[in-house]
Amino acid sequence: MRDEALNITNQTEASLRIVGFLCNWCSYGGADTAGVCRFRQPPLLRIVRIPCTGRMDPLFVIKALAQGADGVLVSGCHPKDCHYAVGNLYARRRLEMVGRFLPFIGIDPRRFRFTWVSASEGQRWQQVVTEFSEVIEKLGPNPGLRSHAG
Amino acid sequence: MNTLQSIVESIWDQVDVVLGWRVGYDPLHPVPTFVRDRKDIASLIWNPLCAPNLSVFLAKFFRTASQRDKKIGILAKGCDSRSLTALIQEGLVDRDRLLIVGLTCPGTVDPDALAAARTQSGPITAVAFANGMVEITSADGVECVPLDRVIERRCQRCRHAHPVLYDVVLHDFEPRPVPKDPFAHVEALENQSLEARKAFWLKELERCLRCYACRNACPLCVCQDHCLAESRTPKWVTQKDTVADKFLFHMIHTLHLAGRCTECGECERACPMKIPVGLLKEKTAQIAMDLWHYESGTDPGARPPLLSYDASVTGI
Repeated sequence: MRDEALNITNQTEASLRIVGFLCNWCSYGGADTAGVCRFRQPPLLRIVRIPCTGRMDPLFVIKALAQGADGVLVSGCHPKDCHYAVGNLYARRRLEMVGRFLPFIGIDPRRFRFTWVSASEGQRWQQVVTEFSEVIEKLGPNPGLRSHAG
Repeated sequence: MNTLQSIVESIWDQVDVVLGWRVGYDPLHPVPTFVRDRKDIASLIWNPLCAPNLSVFLAKFFRTASQRDKKIGILAKGCDSRSLTALIQEGLVDRDRLLIVGLTCPGTVDPDALAAARTQSGPITAVAFANGMVEITSADGVECVPLDRVIERRCQRCRHAHPVLYDVVLHDFEPRPVPKDPFAHVEALENQSLEARKAFWLKELERCLRCYACRNACPLCVCQDHCLAESRTPKWVTQKDTVADKFLFHMIHTLHLAGRCTECGECERACPMKIPVGLLKEKTAQIAMDLWHYESGTDPGARPPLLSYDASVTGI
């Protein structure tokens, strides 16, 4: 029993990590809905709650990936449903830009994804997380620049 | 025929100061100069050695300058005029207070390439440009180097050798022809594997001194005292000299210029370690072109794509 518990701990320690930046108003609620509905989700995601995807600095994506996060997921309200009206419209331009820039500096662009999930879409949230986790599991660990960080 | 001096004389009554170049410690090294006195007009020069982009001084100028009636005169090559346009677009510089002397540009000289192409080494007394040749007079005699052989990388890919914005224009030189593929250098790197690209940047950025010359030479780096690279809260980069920190600094620079960079190449020219940091910005310029058909610094009325949005777009 004790060994089993240790095993689980070790497994989680060694497992892959996805950093999820979720908008407070939609996707964070969506993830909560998925939890309340008890939809099974892979355990890779660590959530950072942000006030709006308009708060997403593209540097967050690069810094997370450079520090060795295995994936970065950004999710907010569907376009035209933003709590602040247009935050996600700005965000999608920035995120599209950074997503296309990543391969140029040698970061696999498949490790980054942005999507829109509303607070009621628990089912969709489960699907997004499961799909992205599968991609990351296939890609394996991201070395990032940790070994160069001194 | 118009000369630089006659043009500056003709606009002198309208301006407080003229930003231009004069000869530095030798004729191969012109330096920026601010002409405030009429008698100093004679010291102004313009030739392919005048590389510094003078618009870098403007944002600071407009913040500190007292509101006066007279304008600020500035000499601008094609790339410089794009930087000026971008500054005007973003409201950092007031077009009505500028008097732009446009210069058609044959490309600027890469000092390293010139040094490599030269055979003599004596002190230089004069430099002249004629028929596509650089004619250098030194203590050892006169030698000629073809201008095309010593042109900067940024100029080899220049699409706007003729200024895009000016009040008067000086046609001293034939503008450089537009190259077939201005993004050839970016594509050459993209043809390599992901691992090779990462290795390339780690190897190049390893040399970075974090002297911030690239940032300081950049006309559109206007955060100035509030640069993220030096902020303590939030602390983005540490004081360590690891390549990870250098990498992050260059990401800050690049992403702050995404969709704004006018590809003047000053970052790369100013780099004492010859790191091709310009490539990073060229890539973002290429993305902006692909995604929004936007070329920064060509239309003073346009809005940079990352400072705006299009609600009608669907599917992403």
